[in-house]
Amino acid sequence: METEEVKGTFKPELIPEECGGDIDDYEEALHVLMKFVGSMSSALEQVSGRGANAIVYQAGKRMGHEAGKLVEKTDDLEKALQELSEILGMEFYFEMWKPSGQDEYITENNGETVVKLLFMDCVVRQTLRRTGLPQKGPLCYLLYGYMVGAVEEVMDIKGKLDIDHVGPNACLKTLTIKWSGK
Amino acid sequence: MVKIEIDEEACVGCGSCVEDCPNDVYEMDEEKGKTKVVKEEDCMACLSCHEICPAQAMEHHDIHVAKRLYIDRKVKSVLDKMI
Repeated sequence: METEEVKGTFKPELIPEECGGDIDDYEEALHVLMKFVGSMSSALEQVSGRGANAIVYQAGKRMGHEAGKLVEKTDDLEKALQELSEILGMEFYFEMWKPSGQDEYITENNGETVVKLLFMDCVVRQTLRRTGLPQKGPLCYLLYGYMVGAVEEVMDIKGKLDIDHVGPNACLKTLTIKWSGK
Repeated sequence: MVKIEIDEEACVGCGSCVEDCPNDVYEMDEEKGKTKVVKEEDCMACLSCHEICPAQAMEHHDIHVAKRLYIDRKVKSVLDKMI
């Protein structure tokens, strides 16, 4: 396919007047990025083995701490998750989930607070499907780290996120909060 | 609430969906040798059952359908013309 070269004048400017590109350009860029990230993840796993998960987790956690700084600190887990959901936006759209036999979303278990999160829209899942990689691999640890980092930052506690189940349309994860870990 | 429909004529009774579902939404109907929905209210619409079903015998209604930006629109438009 032939591509048309765009020629124009470039001036120093504080705010670019023109971003350029239509939806096809953005789509192409998105797909190249997906392939690039997928390829990086698979190479990382090849070189570092299970250490790849830890590296990606750490990267996600750092991002989560940064994002958490934008949210007001609170001890209310439900409020924290609500605000984080807004920051994560529609690309990581999640909701609290509970089985029909359970009364509350948030439960207490041996001094730990447990809540199940259902991630419906996820860019990581889309990237894995674009590149043909399996779920639950290193890239999934990015979101794992992100959530843990963000919750730690907002609530000033220690948390962990376990992957319960992955599917093509949604993934169920369990967020566990250790209050003693302040 | 999620509504699940099983096409009994298509279902081959392999039980893959019963094994794969983390919330035990399905059970095998031993008499008919087909899958049946027993706990629709516990379905979280992960759609693992869709992916594993060899007969594509199920349909989920009233669920959040995740974005599928990974599908190349140009390729899709070509496929739409062919299929």
